[in-house]
Amino acid sequence: MRNIQKIIKDGARKAVARDDVKYVLGWTPGYGFRVSPFFARTAEDTERLIFSPLCANNLTIYLTLQEKLPLPKAAALDKRKIALFVKGCDSRAVIQLIAERGISRDELVILGVPCGGVIDISKLEAKFPQAIKVEAVEEGEKLSLKVDGKSQEIPKEDILLKKCSLCEYPNPLIYDVLLGEEKQKKTKDYQGISTFEEKSPNEKWTYWGDKFARCIRCYACRNICPLCYCDSCILDKLSPQWIRRSVNLSENTVFQLLRTFHLTGRCIGCGECERACPMGIPVGELNRKLEKDVRELFAYEPGIDIEEKSLLSQFKPEDSEDFIL
Amino acid sequence: MRKKIGVYVCHCGVNISATVDIEKVCKLASGLPGVAAAKDYTYLCSDPGQELIKKDIKELGLEKVVIAACSPRMHEQTFRGTCEEAELNPYCLEMANIREQCSWVHKEKDKATRKAAALISASVAKASLLEPLSEKEVDVIPKALVIGGGISGIQSSLDIADAGFGVYLVEKDPSIGGHMAQLDKTFPTLDCSACILTPKMVDVYRHPNIELLTYCEVISVDGFIGNFKVKVRKKPRYVNINKCNGCGACAEACLLKGRIASEFEAGMGKRGAIYVPFPQAVPLVYTIDSEKCLFLRKGKCGKSPACKAACGPEAIDFEQKEEIIELEIGTIVVATGFDVFPAKEKPEYGYDAYSNVITGLEFERLSSASGPTFGKIKIGGKEPEDVVFIQCVGSRDKELGNEYCSRVCCMYTAKQAHLVREKLPNANITVFYIDVRAFGKGFEEFYDRVKKEGIIYRRGNASEVYRRGEKLIVRAEDTLLGEALEVETDLVVLSTGLVQRDVGELKNALRLSQSSDRFFLEAHPKLRPMDTATAGVYLAGCCQGPKDIPDSVAQASGAAAKAIVPLATGKVKIDPIISFVDENICRGCGICITTCPYDAIELKEITRDGYPVEVAFVNDVLCKGCGACVASCLSGAIQQRSFTDEQILSQITALGVE
Repeated sequence: MRNIQKIIKDGARKAVARDDVKYVLGWTPGYGFRVSPFFARTAEDTERLIFSPLCANNLTIYLTLQEKLPLPKAAALDKRKIALFVKGCDSRAVIQLIAERGISRDELVILGVPCGGVIDISKLEAKFPQAIKVEAVEEGEKLSLKVDGKSQEIPKEDILLKKCSLCEYPNPLIYDVLLGEEKQKKTKDYQGISTFEEKSPNEKWTYWGDKFARCIRCYACRNICPLCYCDSCILDKLSPQWIRRSVNLSENTVFQLLRTFHLTGRCIGCGECERACPMGIPVGELNRKLEKDVRELFAYEPGIDIEEKSLLSQFKPEDSEDFIL
Repeated sequence: MRKKIGVYVCHCGVNISATVDIEKVCKLASGLPGVAAAKDYTYLCSDPGQELIKKDIKELGLEKVVIAACSPRMHEQTFRGTCEEAELNPYCLEMANIREQCSWVHKEKDKATRKAAALISASVAKASLLEPLSEKEVDVIPKALVIGGGISGIQSSLDIADAGFGVYLVEKDPSIGGHMAQLDKTFPTLDCSACILTPKMVDVYRHPNIELLTYCEVISVDGFIGNFKVKVRKKPRYVNINKCNGCGACAEACLLKGRIASEFEAGMGKRGAIYVPFPQAVPLVYTIDSEKCLFLRKGKCGKSPACKAACGPEAIDFEQKEEIIELEIGTIVVATGFDVFPAKEKPEYGYDAYSNVITGLEFERLSSASGPTFGKIKIGGKEPEDVVFIQCVGSRDKELGNEYCSRVCCMYTAKQAHLVREKLPNANITVFYIDVRAFGKGFEEFYDRVKKEGIIYRRGNASEVYRRGEKLIVRAEDTLLGEALEVETDLVVLSTGLVQRDVGELKNALRLSQSSDRFFLEAHPKLRPMDTATAGVYLAGCCQGPKDIPDSVAQASGAAAKAIVPLATGKVKIDPIISFVDENICRGCGICITTCPYDAIELKEITRDGYPVEVAFVNDVLCKGCGACVASCLSGAIQQRSFTDEQILSQITALGVE
């Protein structure tokens, strides 16, 4: 097996050398345990790119997040493409974005990297409270970690993000170039969701009330979501004002439910919302519940096919209606 | 706040006032923000009621009017007219429904009064945010399209053409005439179906305003009322219709003559590969069946195609290709008709197994003087001694999903029984029925007459038909006598019902809905039976539901009258309560486009901050104001006039929900 670091650097260098490519979006080592998104504009830049189980960030967000300053009158439009690295889950975000016309396929050069799962930093911090710098290399079902210079081996399931241990799509579903070897798929399991589904309505209120009460409305979950890309979010609207600015259980609940429902049939389960939440609210659980319902009721899965129509704009006479009271 | 809102509370006789304390409600309404006057009247929709409102609009300078009365479905148009007469924009009106949604459904006066007051305060809150809207007008192309050349399509075409407008009549078969041309006699008058139909077919052919497009199919419909763009596929006939004189020499020469089941004869007779469906066909032009013709299928037919050699005017053209014609149309009448219920779906009656089990339509051909037996009722060359009719085959049958009554079978069975009696005076004739529905003019009298002709009506549906020796046995239960019985017979006629025909893509192209019986859905079952949800598209005949000939003709004339209105006025008004897009917010995802049932939204490119971006664009004329796009838009960029988020939220807030 060739070294994955060399493979991705080669891939990035080739992409950035193309005349029709603006930059390559990838990952680079960041502060402490963390990995930062990185915009490589030159061959030299590409030397700084890495790929490891620490590369949790879904880079798709940077396709729609980039702030566009008004284009001066005489200036020509930069029509060059953006090259970006995608893991399996990230690639579904790209597909969904294309399906929703958030971006066009020919604006992109997609560099796919099969992924064996990414590390949950909070688990890492709990295991190595004193550590300053960590590097990780995937070795089958184990991870080999270098914690402040010392090598450690650790079983994957102890340290991966929950969504990764159940990952159905480790391999990118859309790409121009595939870098690295394809990984084994796992079967999706909604066990966690069933336990909260079984709760009574009152228990559910208590369960979520406790969690939503913690929300500080920083909107990190919205901001990091690759599919929350409206130019103007209704949360920011003042007239009419759908949600008040005040942070309290009632407004927080409305916010969380609105965020979830806006992702119905759209959420591709990259789990970035949950990862970004500074208060540790399991917001992804709500998304997974809707994902499960959508799959069971309508046999629909977003982010698979760029030609697929939006779930909520489709109607079939045979659609399940059991949920209508 | 400026006090420019007038509130008018209707007693509706005692419909509202018996349950709602009108005086109390008026008092509360007069204290609402912005309300200049709150008055009540026994019947606001009456002339003096409307005068009261008009007077206030002028004298108090009202800018908004709130009517607390019945459902807007009833009287919104009335009160819009009232506002207009008083020179107030008709869209500055809001109705609070305190009848259907309050007084009629509640008993306790105190609670109903509180609810009425809440509904009125919500309407006042919304009214204060209403904006005046203006109605657009578009020109109408003075031509109509009629789809389907049966009796309904023929009647609609003639009526529209007689009114002086151009008509394209599109028929998928080689000839117009439809099912009516196949029938022998018509009930209850017993006149010959073809004799009364063919003059009308000739009228269509001769009419200077009608362009007849037979052997053609509508493939797409774009545009909107007044300006439809329709594509029609002209299937190749392989016969030049301008040269063919209908002499029939080709059909005589065809190698497959008498070897192909004739559609017109309902399979009871045969035709060749080149054929006219029936001798009075309009146009009387031959057509080659490309699926059967040896030359077209295999490239070889004897030494050379015999039909071509036989044709004097050299009309046969094997090189003909399908053509797509584009038409510009103002209004459309859909008269696509019905299909006969496929009898094989009731296998217990043995339609597939026994040649002497036939459908009602097959009987018509058997009985017709122009049919394959020249009107002699013979099965396998023999006249039957016993004949059994089984009614409601494929109708009133929940198991099949056809819960409806096909409305013609009772009477056509009575007529057919009568025809058998006339032709075979000694035959034993039995009719099995569930109920006999003889509801039309002269129907009951006819049924009575038939019963007196020695025809045995037995109440109860047949359960099974099977062979015993030479005879067929019909097993049934006579529900009046409460006994099971078996009847020996030589001929079973199944009174097959009418089912919706599969019109393929046409249904979507015209954006037609279907009711649960699968027939096309009218805009209102009582008051708009010819209209559809698509403006400018009207329904005629059996495509809307089973009908007999008089009803089909009546509806066809009605649909024609409807279709003529926009053609005659030359303009159509467009309802301004439609959706609109905030181009600054729209992200161009297009979810509204896939959601829109009327194809009213498309993307257009605009420049935002120097960058080209795509945003949604609503076609005012196509939009029906259903609001589906508004609900689907994630960023709230698309809104509906008179139902904006702000207006609706103000209503909710006024109801006391914060």
